[in-house]
Amino acid sequence: MTSRRDQSLTLVILGVFSLVALLPIVGILVTAVQDPNGLRSFGSFDGIHLGNFGDAWTQGHFGSYLRSSTIVAVTVVVVSSVFSLLAGYAFGMMRFRGADVLFYVLLLGLMVPMEAVIVPLYYDLRDLKLTDTYWALILPQIGSSVAFGTFWMRAFFRTVPRSLVEAARIDGASTWFTLWRVLLPLARPAVLTMVVLLFMWTWNEFLLALVMVSDEGLRTAPLGLSFFQGRNTSNLTLLAAGAVIVATPVVVLYVFLQRHFIRGMLAGAVKG
Amino acid sequence: MAAVRFSEVDKRFGPVTAVSGLTLDVADGEFMVLVGPSGSGKTTALRMLAGLESISAGEVSIGERVVNKVAPRERDIAMVFQDYALYPQMTVYDNLAFGLRRRKVRKEDIDRRVASAAESLDITPYLERRPGQLSGGQAQRVALGRALVREPQVFLMDEPLSNLDAKLRTQTRGEIRRLQQQVRTTTVYVTHDQVEAMTMGDRIAVMNDGVLEQCGTPEELYERPANRFVAGFIGSPAMSFFDAAAQADGDGVRLRAGALDLLVPGAPRLPAQVTVGVRPEGARPWSGGGSGRLGPVRGTVEYVEALGRETFLGVATDGARLIVHHDGRATEQVGDAIEFGIAPGGLRFFDTDSGVAIA
Amino acid sequence: MELVSLTLRRGHPGERPPGEPRSIGYLYLAPALIVFAGFVLVPLLHAAWLSLFEWDGLTPGTWVGLHNYGDVVSDPALRRAFGHALILIVFYALLPVAIGLVLAGLVARIHVPGLPVFRTILFLPQVVAMVVVAVMWRMIYDPDQGALNSILRSVGLGGLAKSWLGDFGWALPAVGLIGTWVWYGLAMVLLTAGAQKIPQSLFDAARVDGAGPVREFFAVTLPALRGEIAVALTLTTIAALRNFDLVYITTQGGPGDATSVPAFQVYDRAFKSGQVGSAAAIGVCLVAIIFALSLLINRTGEPRWAR
Repeated sequence: MTSRRDQSLTLVILGVFSLVALLPIVGILVTAVQDPNGLRSFGSFDGIHLGNFGDAWTQGHFGSYLRSSTIVAVTVVVVSSVFSLLAGYAFGMMRFRGADVLFYVLLLGLMVPMEAVIVPLYYDLRDLKLTDTYWALILPQIGSSVAFGTFWMRAFFRTVPRSLVEAARIDGASTWFTLWRVLLPLARPAVLTMVVLLFMWTWNEFLLALVMVSDEGLRTAPLGLSFFQGRNTSNLTLLAAGAVIVATPVVVLYVFLQRHFIRGMLAGAVKG
Repeated sequence: MAAVRFSEVDKRFGPVTAVSGLTLDVADGEFMVLVGPSGSGKTTALRMLAGLESISAGEVSIGERVVNKVAPRERDIAMVFQDYALYPQMTVYDNLAFGLRRRKVRKEDIDRRVASAAESLDITPYLERRPGQLSGGQAQRVALGRALVREPQVFLMDEPLSNLDAKLRTQTRGEIRRLQQQVRTTTVYVTHDQVEAMTMGDRIAVMNDGVLEQCGTPEELYERPANRFVAGFIGSPAMSFFDAAAQADGDGVRLRAGALDLLVPGAPRLPAQVTVGVRPEGARPWSGGGSGRLGPVRGTVEYVEALGRETFLGVATDGARLIVHHDGRATEQVGDAIEFGIAPGGLRFFDTDSGVAIA
Repeated sequence: MELVSLTLRRGHPGERPPGEPRSIGYLYLAPALIVFAGFVLVPLLHAAWLSLFEWDGLTPGTWVGLHNYGDVVSDPALRRAFGHALILIVFYALLPVAIGLVLAGLVARIHVPGLPVFRTILFLPQVVAMVVVAVMWRMIYDPDQGALNSILRSVGLGGLAKSWLGDFGWALPAVGLIGTWVWYGLAMVLLTAGAQKIPQSLFDAARVDGAGPVREFFAVTLPALRGEIAVALTLTTIAALRNFDLVYITTQGGPGDATSVPAFQVYDRAFKSGQVGSAAAIGVCLVAIIFALSLLINRTGEPRWAR
């Protein structure tokens, strides 16, 4: 029995909180298209000046920052996805000694934040002369991405009925063939969710870039934004435009694939 | 074509023994049914034959070859799974062709074999569909087709009809049998349903708790059960049992249990305590002493199973609970008194302790 | 028996069926495991090792044993940092979960039209990079051009306007509220999803027993949401503890050390003030606390009778 009053109350609450969630974002969008020579204050609308984005791209070097972020994110996501598929397949479908222990270690590793290992990572990579290269950003993030990815793909593979794999085995399919030709088509939604989540986390990563990268040409988008802010405390519109550029790729991905994002974060969280 | 042989086969999962001392020969071209309750080891035995489980002890042979260490794909077998295990992203055609493609069969041969199997199973119109678009019955036939195209030495079937509704099940039973007789491939078929076993098998192997209780033709199992388990498992409704004291009396034996007192003429030598089995059709309402039946036995009706063509009455007497068979409809109702007679030929005797059949 | 064999099958490598790959499992596992071990596990162990030294990152370090850990409890700067982290937990975890519970309580029995749309919007803050969030809110909190002060002035509360992120008393709560903004959406979505799964029959039974809405909440909704609450608390608590990006962009730990947090101390000590050992120790402590809190939250999350 749904009382009309209860429903209205709920809608109001949902509405208010949704608005609060949305307002700052709308605010910065509005600010990003503000007249750069006019009165500059956060959130006030005075027309749409898309030139700000162009300025941010060139003057602000956000084009370069985006390029770096893309290189890093795409590499991390592609490599991590492949590694995670292989490892998740092993954990989910094969029997071997020590599987439980290894998985447990992986699970614990999931809880180790970048903030805890950034220090040794820096000094180790410095000794290897890898700081200030894309490798310093890519390799550690593959490391943490495969922890989640393996856990996620294993969960998926465990839902596959054993009989399907057995039928393939009797039909003569090898382990490799079964993974890529029989199971991968089934895994598409799970893989897509993993890909969007890994992309989001990699794109948004800041601390790693801050510590590892000093060469301006290698700066990723969040790092670039942070530097930009340091240089331009008074140029509100340009800063806002830069911020929007940094956030847009993930937000766009989110808008089109929200179901995957949300499902992934909720389901992954429940297991974690 | 090949024969299948299990030779003293054991299967242990850690401390648990799933199959113990299984020795079974399946003749070339034979339709052998493995039947038994849950946990009897029948599926485990099938899976060992398929190569999906390792063998703890003993030998499994296909044809002349011991296949203990041979991978499933090398065994030249095809299997039909209970949940069909069709490849969900592939069309029916690709499902059927999958195994052949893995074995590098030529395209023309693949086309021919798939078309022929689809024809036999009446699934040609579905060749371009995906498993998700098929009904249960259609999917089941595709699963059969996938095994058929492989033209293997042995067909293995793991309760393929369990997921179908009753009517479809009966229909498909016949089709499977017909197909098998056409291709004459050795078949090992697992089911928990003894009716299925009795109607489909050339021979039946009854398993219980990992052990083979008896192997024989349906007739042998029904008429000459080797022990109490087989006697009680085969036949529907099940045989009724009661314990009785036996005493030689003239050329027969006098059986006493509670108020029951039967003089069985021509009975074999029996120990003092014996378990007696009565098939439902062996107990009929009393119609006078002329028919050679023993009785009258008096009892009370506990339940009535009216099936139209015949009725089974569950009757409690002092000393035993028996099922009485009644042609057509019965007038008796729950709580009524009833008199019935037992045909001496319908009696079976079992050792009370070991359950082994006596003579 | 089938059930037994199925469960036993999982863990008995000695009983492998013929032809099934033996060590091939390790081969498939290797790439992921190697990168994971090399860039997560080994660094963690290395951090533990570094934490036992006093080192400036350039000259050779000196062994100090557990001294750096002792600092965590004795050094007032570090005590403050961890204390701030605890306060942030209130903003990041407790507040959002409370908000989520209120909504969950309402939504539990009700069919809400358009819930997916709300979900999409509520989740948005999670998707935006923390750096962008920080930049956004710095603008909002800006004393002169910021939206917050503008709004206060426009409704006549100009007296309340201040430099939020520059105020010794308000800086931490201001940062905390940003965290609340980021996380309440997730909490709401998680908890309402859980609430909608509660079978209607439980509510009917409670109602028949004479329970009012408040009683219903405590008797039916809350216990059913134990799992989701545990998850939400775990995620948000970890976020609060490891929080770096936000503090770095908005306040740099200031004013003074009013918004100093452990993660910022790690960065500052390791890369600015040449106290690498101490930084490593703080990092290890963070991991330990995260482990401990996760365990604690999830232990109490599953009541014995639910298992």
